[in-house]
Amino acid sequence: MSIPGLGQITAQQSSAPATRTVALHPFSEWRFQISPASTAACRLVAGTAERDGTELAQNKTYSLTRCRSKIVSFTGATLEVSGEFESENVKHSPTPAASPFVAYLNLHFLLQARRTQASQGGNGQGPRVMICGPAATGKSSLAKMLIGWATRQNEQPVLATVDPRDGMLALPGTLSAAVFATVMDVEDPEGGVGVGCTPSSGPSAVPVKLPVGYYFGREKVEDDEQLWKDLVRRLGSSVRAKTGGDQGVRRGGVVIDTPAVDFKKGEVKVKNEDGQQQVEQGGGVEGLMHVVREFAVNIIVVLGSPDLEAELRSRNNKSTLGEPIEIVNLDKPDGVVEQDRQYLLSSRKALIKDYFFGDSKRALSPSVQSFSFDDVVIFRAVDGLDLDDPPQVLERAEITEEMSHWTLAVMDASVNDPLETIRQAPVIGWVCVSDVDKDRRRMKILSPVSGRLTRPMVWGRWPEPYVNLLG
Amino acid sequence: MDDIGEEVAADFREALQDLSTNARFEIVTLTNIAKENANHGLAIAEVLTQHIKEAPASKTLPALYVLDSIVKNVPTPYALFFGPKLYQIFMGSYTKVDSATRRKMDEMLKTWKEPIAGSISKKPVFPPDLVRPIENALLAARNAYQDKFQSQQQHLMRGRPVGPPSRATPTPPMGRAYQPPPHGQYPPHGDQPYPMRSGNTPNGMPHRATPPSAGPHAHYQHPPPSQGPYGAPAGINIDKLKDDIQQLIQLGTAEFTQNMHDDSIKTRLGALLKLQEILQSQNLPQEQLMAINDQVAQLAVNMRAAATQPQPPPPSSYHPAALPPYNTTTHTPTPPVVVSQQFAPPAAPVAAAVAPAVQLPAVLAAALGRPASNVAPVPVAAAPPPPPRPATTGGTLSLDSILGQGALAALLAAKKPATPQQTATPVPPPAALAALRSPPQQTPPFQPPPPTQPAANPLTQNPSALLAMLRQSGLLGGTPSSAPAPIIPSLPPPDPNIITLTSASLKLPRLHLLPYLLDHLGPPCSQCGRRFPTSEEGKKKKTAHMDWHFRVHQRVAEAEQRGQHRSQFVSELDWIQSHEEPDVDYNAPSGEGEEGSESDDNDWSGGVRGGRKGGKGKKEEKKKRWIIAPDEGGVGGVGDGGAGVNKVCPICQEKFQSRYLEEVQDWVWMDAVVVGGQPGMGGGGKRVYHGSCWDEVNAGVQAGQQQQGLTLLGKGKREREEEGEEEIRGGVKRLMR
Repeated sequence: MSIPGLGQITAQQSSAPATRTVALHPFSEWRFQISPASTAACRLVAGTAERDGTELAQNKTYSLTRCRSKIVSFTGATLEVSGEFESENVKHSPTPAASPFVAYLNLHFLLQARRTQASQGGNGQGPRVMICGPAATGKSSLAKMLIGWATRQNEQPVLATVDPRDGMLALPGTLSAAVFATVMDVEDPEGGVGVGCTPSSGPSAVPVKLPVGYYFGREKVEDDEQLWKDLVRRLGSSVRAKTGGDQGVRRGGVVIDTPAVDFKKGEVKVKNEDGQQQVEQGGGVEGLMHVVREFAVNIIVVLGSPDLEAELRSRNNKSTLGEPIEIVNLDKPDGVVEQDRQYLLSSRKALIKDYFFGDSKRALSPSVQSFSFDDVVIFRAVDGLDLDDPPQVLERAEITEEMSHWTLAVMDASVNDPLETIRQAPVIGWVCVSDVDKDRRRMKILSPVSGRLTRPMVWGRWPEPYVNLLG
Repeated sequence: MDDIGEEVAADFREALQDLSTNARFEIVTLTNIAKENANHGLAIAEVLTQHIKEAPASKTLPALYVLDSIVKNVPTPYALFFGPKLYQIFMGSYTKVDSATRRKMDEMLKTWKEPIAGSISKKPVFPPDLVRPIENALLAARNAYQDKFQSQQQHLMRGRPVGPPSRATPTPPMGRAYQPPPHGQYPPHGDQPYPMRSGNTPNGMPHRATPPSAGPHAHYQHPPPSQGPYGAPAGINIDKLKDDIQQLIQLGTAEFTQNMHDDSIKTRLGALLKLQEILQSQNLPQEQLMAINDQVAQLAVNMRAAATQPQPPPPSSYHPAALPPYNTTTHTPTPPVVVSQQFAPPAAPVAAAVAPAVQLPAVLAAALGRPASNVAPVPVAAAPPPPPRPATTGGTLSLDSILGQGALAALLAAKKPATPQQTATPVPPPAALAALRSPPQQTPPFQPPPPTQPAANPLTQNPSALLAMLRQSGLLGGTPSSAPAPIIPSLPPPDPNIITLTSASLKLPRLHLLPYLLDHLGPPCSQCGRRFPTSEEGKKKKTAHMDWHFRVHQRVAEAEQRGQHRSQFVSELDWIQSHEEPDVDYNAPSGEGEEGSESDDNDWSGGVRGGRKGGKGKKEEKKKRWIIAPDEGGVGGVGDGGAGVNKVCPICQEKFQSRYLEEVQDWVWMDAVVVGGQPGMGGGGKRVYHGSCWDEVNAGVQAGQQQQGLTLLGKGKREREEEGEEEIRGGVKRLMR
């Protein structure tokens, strides 16, 4: 019934949609987008299905929120779904051969064969795979799938992200790596690599993943290329040390997700005389080659860019370990969602919130403490406009209101360490400045754990702060 | 309190902690316990109050339903016991739960204003002067929320408790934020004598086997005998509605005078006036009143501008038909039929599916499947044990309930292992698939047509016959537990050279490899989908894995009762040396064994560098010292009103910092001692000092501190202050364990 004149006030809450059944043929995908404000549930009723390489358990109700993802079935499946979706559709593949997953699966089986070979003879070093390509070609997705599949076959591969925008098991702006030996979290909005999957003081129903991360604090590699390269080197050497010390991990190899490089033939302007000039067009490729060197990459998977493939082929073709570097270009799967800025922004916010407050599965209690300006040591990168200067170094940041709502990285270093050491130190966590009182020279800091902040903190320039976490 | 009372209370507390769904029989059981032990009512009421306060958000609603049920069935003495604390209980819960639960709470609150259904007494469940402050606070909160609604905080705050304006304090664990009642007429603690002693009072209410509040508990099997208190029609009070509208009209008029040119205000005002007219002249049926009430409530949200406490209830929170899409639907007060549709798999078949596959001791499997015992809840068990399913499925024997879910699929798959045409088998169009809703029919389309397939369809009406046929054909062994056995444990690894790293080779479908990621890995774990081979070693691993799940479920339940926080990441060296061990729990870097990972000794300076080694002993020596901040209840904390107490330590001349201490539910000064008497009494000669300053001055400067020098005195004090606080927090946690 309607009441005269009151109809214009629309209800915010739509009534809950009923449960539907989604039938997936072999090699078809169910794609969905769920807004941060709503949740949806999904249950595998029959068949097999997986998200990002991790199988769904049958008859378990998974609850999903704020994600743009897909559930794939290779053998056919029936899903029961309910909840609110921004959009969802089933993408059928007429024949398996038409599905991009065929190539991905084959790639996995090839890597698996290489792992077996490596442990049977040679140095026991599994494949180091770098995945690269232009934006929105499904790089991270493929990386997650390769990791998920390997984990299923009892491998312990390393997943490394050198794309500062992603924030794998870390906040955005961080380069990180972790060994994956256990089931990934299907319910995690980031597909099992969100910061919500990192350890907390309590138990976790899905095994947590332990990352090592280095804080870049910028959105794009070009924003501070020298630091990025330094951090890639640090990350690479940590991963090398890890694979060197652990046979299982060595066999598992490394999968590296890289920043988008949109390379077009004829636009390369590599100026060898001046390293800094490479930033212009071919800079991305140079960055990739840096990754290839630091991680001793021996397999490069290019997604959807024959030009990039050709360019990489023309470069150095021996890995750091002396093996030939194999390069392959795979088609960009259609239907990869171009992540708009708004979505990325909101998911970054959500990640930061997850870090401090936990996700739907576990509520965390961060502490808010008040510190005197003199009790904290906060550094910030010197704005290096002068390109001739040697690498930008840190300086003590002046604490102002401007710092409110920024997240600061807490570095695993001592405040008295050389600045260069602090800059390249691994991150042990983040805090969020919730309030700065300049008159009283005190600031309120939201921190996952309580206690003094004796470690140096670094104030990055990205991700941008957003409204008060404490509401 | 006597011993028996304590015992009863302890038992009650334990039972409450196991309550994770609003299963009707559990609530009834708890109600009966409360009824039978009405002479220990005060203790039980306290336990329940405490539990509601401390329970994690997910367990709050069931606990509130217990309160609701108790109060409605045993109003004497419980309504009296809960009454004074009602505001804190309700608002405290309201701040921590999500919006779906809030809607349930709104509905429950409405019933509290009504007489108990089926009772002769016309008295409401709780007197209006107890319920109204809550309603006022909620309305104010909604208004405040509405103001903020357009801002981008929306998803930030979703389901997130929002505390009082924050001060220099740690956030109370779980974000529980208790606010004093706005009118201040309720005593903060419920231990004052009550007019009626429970033991001597005969229960005025005849006990009903079916509590009137059972209607809302989702698993109630029969339609409520009377119009349940949560049922839609009962909730509307015309007078109140008229009142509300009158208020809105006043508000709207004021708004209109301020903003004459806004047409929307004008329209709305006109509509409201018309509505008022209609209400006064006509006798509208209940459902129309409901709709009007909804609209008015929303309008109120839109219009009123007052702010005390920002909370995000959805504007349409009065709408009883708005079901949230996720699991919490079990809490919904809708008729049971709806619920049963949303929870198609009842617990029993799930448990049956777990049992053969898991190959665990039956006890463990049962524990995993059924939470009703004293075991921590597991996700599978989210569906309550006595589901109304049989009624909806027509009582036929389900094949899945005999074999376990998916067992048939496994069997059929095993019969023809790993042939390329297996996955290439043409499948029926999606529409047909969607029509095949019943489990026995669900799996076959994806499997090679087995010999029995043609017969299967006519037989689905009678699964037993199908079963018999399967047995006959040798597909099925005598017992269901043999189901997963035929899966081939391992195959020779694929030839490494068949795939080369070229686009062409990678694009070639190799479906025969697919099973290496699926069936050849063995049957999946029912909890997480991880597969384990059926070999001896695999079984051992799976047992360990299931034990791990079990342990974690238990500990998750425990951990919810304490505060949790994100751990710091490990250092490079620890990361390199760490070893990922499936089914072994992660230990935080402080590394004190299994318990260590959950200890509260994990701060920024601890862990890897051992910066605080030995600090703990020192902490333990330190006696906790704090006093209630003299300015009671004032938002400004220590600010002004402190009745003659010094706000500055006479020794170091620093102001006392007040913090909120969960344990005492009040603001305190940490590391403070009173010398000469109680500060609250306002007498002269009493002074407050920093405990540490006092010690230093009185005990003389100790050798260690001498080295630090005088300049560090202040810092040292602050450090101890924090340690003292940690100590207290640790103590609280220990208490809660």
